[in-house]
Amino acid sequence: MKKSSIIGIIIIAIAIGVIISTYADSSTYGTFSEAIETKSDLHVVGHLDKQKELVYNPQTDANYFAFFMKDSKGKECKVVFNGTKPQDFEKSEQIVLTGKMVGSEFHASKILMKCPSKYTKDQIEVKEATSSVITKS
Amino acid sequence: MDIQFVGEHLLPGKVGQFFVILSFCSALLATISYYFATVNSANISIPNSSEGWKRIGRIALILNVIAVIGIGSSLFYIIYNHLFEYHYAWAHSSKKLPVHFIISCFWEGQEGSFWLWMFWQAVLGTILLFKAKSWENPVMTTVMLSQTFIASMLIGVDILGTRVGSSPFLLLRQAMEAPIFSRPEYLSLIPDGNGLNPLLQNYWMVIHPPTLFLGFASMIVPFAFAIAGLWQKRYSEWIKPAMPWTLFAVMILGTGVIMGSFWAYEALNFGGFWAWDPVENASIIPWLTLIAAVHVMIAYKNTGHSYFTATFLVLISFVLVLYASFLTRSGILGETSVHAFTDLGMFWHLVIFVVSFLVLAIAFLVIRWKELPITTKDEETYSKEFWLFIGALVLALSSFQIIGTTSIPVFNAIFGTKKAPPVDLIEHYNKFQSIFAILIAFISAFSQFLKYKKTDIRKFYINTGIILAVSVLVTALVLYFTKVYTNPIFILLTYFSVFSILANGKILVEALKGKWKLAGSAVAHMGFALLLIGALVAAATNKVVSINNTGTGFGDEFSKSNDPKENIILYKDEPLKMDRYTVTYKGDSVEGVNTFYKVNYQVIDKGVVKENFNLYPNAQQNAKMRQIIASPDTKHYLFNDIYTHVSSVPLKDEAEHESHDGHSDDENYEKPSTHELSVGDTVRYRDGYILLKAINRDATVQNLTLNTGDIAISMDLDIVSEGNTYKAAPVYVIKSGNKYDFGKTVTEAGLKLRFTNVYPDKSKLELMVYQKPKAEKSWIVLKAIEFPFINLFWGGTIIMVIGFLMSIFRRSKELKSETGKSSISSLE
Repeated sequence: MKKSSIIGIIIIAIAIGVIISTYADSSTYGTFSEAIETKSDLHVVGHLDKQKELVYNPQTDANYFAFFMKDSKGKECKVVFNGTKPQDFEKSEQIVLTGKMVGSEFHASKILMKCPSKYTKDQIEVKEATSSVITKS
Repeated sequence: MDIQFVGEHLLPGKVGQFFVILSFCSALLATISYYFATVNSANISIPNSSEGWKRIGRIALILNVIAVIGIGSSLFYIIYNHLFEYHYAWAHSSKKLPVHFIISCFWEGQEGSFWLWMFWQAVLGTILLFKAKSWENPVMTTVMLSQTFIASMLIGVDILGTRVGSSPFLLLRQAMEAPIFSRPEYLSLIPDGNGLNPLLQNYWMVIHPPTLFLGFASMIVPFAFAIAGLWQKRYSEWIKPAMPWTLFAVMILGTGVIMGSFWAYEALNFGGFWAWDPVENASIIPWLTLIAAVHVMIAYKNTGHSYFTATFLVLISFVLVLYASFLTRSGILGETSVHAFTDLGMFWHLVIFVVSFLVLAIAFLVIRWKELPITTKDEETYSKEFWLFIGALVLALSSFQIIGTTSIPVFNAIFGTKKAPPVDLIEHYNKFQSIFAILIAFISAFSQFLKYKKTDIRKFYINTGIILAVSVLVTALVLYFTKVYTNPIFILLTYFSVFSILANGKILVEALKGKWKLAGSAVAHMGFALLLIGALVAAATNKVVSINNTGTGFGDEFSKSNDPKENIILYKDEPLKMDRYTVTYKGDSVEGVNTFYKVNYQVIDKGVVKENFNLYPNAQQNAKMRQIIASPDTKHYLFNDIYTHVSSVPLKDEAEHESHDGHSDDENYEKPSTHELSVGDTVRYRDGYILLKAINRDATVQNLTLNTGDIAISMDLDIVSEGNTYKAAPVYVIKSGNKYDFGKTVTEAGLKLRFTNVYPDKSKLELMVYQKPKAEKSWIVLKAIEFPFINLFWGGTIIMVIGFLMSIFRRSKELKSETGKSSISSLE
């Protein structure tokens, strides 16, 4: 067999290996119910329950942040994050958590959030004008 | 609508939009003209046609350059003059923005960054006009085709009901709907723009995007040469003139990528210099394939092997540049990256761009397949060309792996799956990339001792063997100092990187003796190996030094798990031991939009202060959004960095907000304590004590006239706190039979004192002590990371770039001397 064919086969084998391993490493977007079942790490997409309290008291523990999140199925769960509260967390529209269930709490190792940041979204900010416009007209 | 809007400046937008259309039309005209110039040059029946088309092509190119500059100037004019009737200016700038950051507004939005790309492509086109010689027609056809595509991204015109492209000259009232736009004087209601993202207000952001885009833009040139070679059947000729361009693209893109990394390290609180974020990956993917292409191009030039690999890699690199811009600009990364642009409705437009160039590349390869100069011979195992080929394959595989994982959202979109990226993303990438890095370091070293075609095997083994042996010793030393011996992969990577540095060092020494040819590659390889070691050591041994070991805050659910607590809270002027440092938060100062937090670091050894320095991590307090954007500050030592950023601070506006809102001032204090005192008594409180020195029986209160019969008494108090003494005199008044008291606040001590009653029968006075809760003392939550040997990473980069520069000079000199020779021979 020619050397180039052998190399070709090896390269294809490695490429397939990379694909399979990427597939194996990839996780899933799940829900809290699935997190309870699997016990392993996964991503959960949801949004912050703004009715309930956010707990972050740097004076007592700068590395403890807890909140309640509703997942895409509407199930709610307490989430605990081992770190500081992301600064504009209250404004988040969507949250993607990475982590797993520990008891009845979801322990997140990473929080990724989408915010209606004024730098990405068009929300016109009119200086106290919107209301006056309405009353005048 | 017939509303006459007041105060709008429509002219600059109209001029700008004219230039946008002109840039598109001129690019299209140039593409067509250069196409016919190329096609007709072979046609003898119409002898002057090619020249004529070429002239039109050149004029169109010059028009295009003018148009591109016109767009840039109009946009600058609009932003500079704060014409917020334009959406782009409103969305990306504000009146407060310093002039030198106006230029950064250009790349905050997609339209501006497309313009930047177009600008560089126009510049490169102009250079090609003078330098491409016989290649001008076919090469410029492809370059201008790409220019046409990018220009089409900016036109923002409705065609058959769909908006094509997004113009930077769109008016605010056209871009969005809001009731205020029905009012003629709506502009007076828009006092200011949204402003530039604070993260971009950094001097690195002024130079990083132009460098990166120059890198992206310059990758069209090797692509165009490769296409021209296939098109004109000048299969092997194109490689030589394309070589300096390819090296240039690799050098500039590499520099741009590392600049981005440096910006992330210096200005973002990513906590590192590389995070495998999809946006970072997008820029490194084409870099890896193009650097692979450089190696096989050299192999082909010298031996005639690897033609297909070289051509394919050059072609695919530019397609990957387009794919990368699709990833970052189409919004497809959605849930996996916070840094990508959001979709501007150009998803399919971008897809067409990528697919067109992919089809173009594949079509040419397929059509010309039978004629390609592909050797059927196998390379010798002990030959340089063989290992250049293998090295290129490893680089391509490394790129392939990054593409695979970064593209998970794309696969989801195509196949309708819902896969998420790996949970531990960094670990996932490092696992693969460290192995590729080991192989690349190894091959880049020993292949330098191989010759083209045939090598003296004995000499090769002696050379390699000696250096491999010496590397063992050096590696042992490096491992000892850098402490990366914890993992076999780390040890291997260090070993082969050291091997690469030594082997290429030997080549460099020989080069200095006269064999200059290999000097550039030797330097570049050494730089790359150094970069690998730097990245490895900094990434593997960086440690968070701000470990919370104060013992407070435990006892919640978290104390069960042994996760390190990586943030600590510092109260003002309360020193805290952190690793080998004693850290004290000294206070903050405001400068523009930034609040700088002064943090003092001391190394105290047996009572002697060995080191003493201050770091000023800053945060932009954004009152409107109730958020902070933190930027780190770093102490650079030669061998390590102390990287510090605040992760949480009290929001400034909150405190003021409350007192303005008519809340009782007392809410800011803890529950008061009440004391009955006589002169000479003291009251203890948390931070010290209060002494009642004397009683002043005729006190006065400002703006209060006392009539006979009214009483005003004050206490003369000394407050002693942490070695400081403050004075205060709260007043007690009986006026017209009513009791009043005028409390005094002592801000420095966090106290409010009220003189609330007099008990003449007991001859005691009543004092109420309000103290601020401890939290109200200023505090910051801090994270500090030590990065050892990170200077190797930056240093390696600089050395690598120098190596590229040397190679570019060598290759273009080669080209010049050869064209010189051939022109002489044609004269004879």
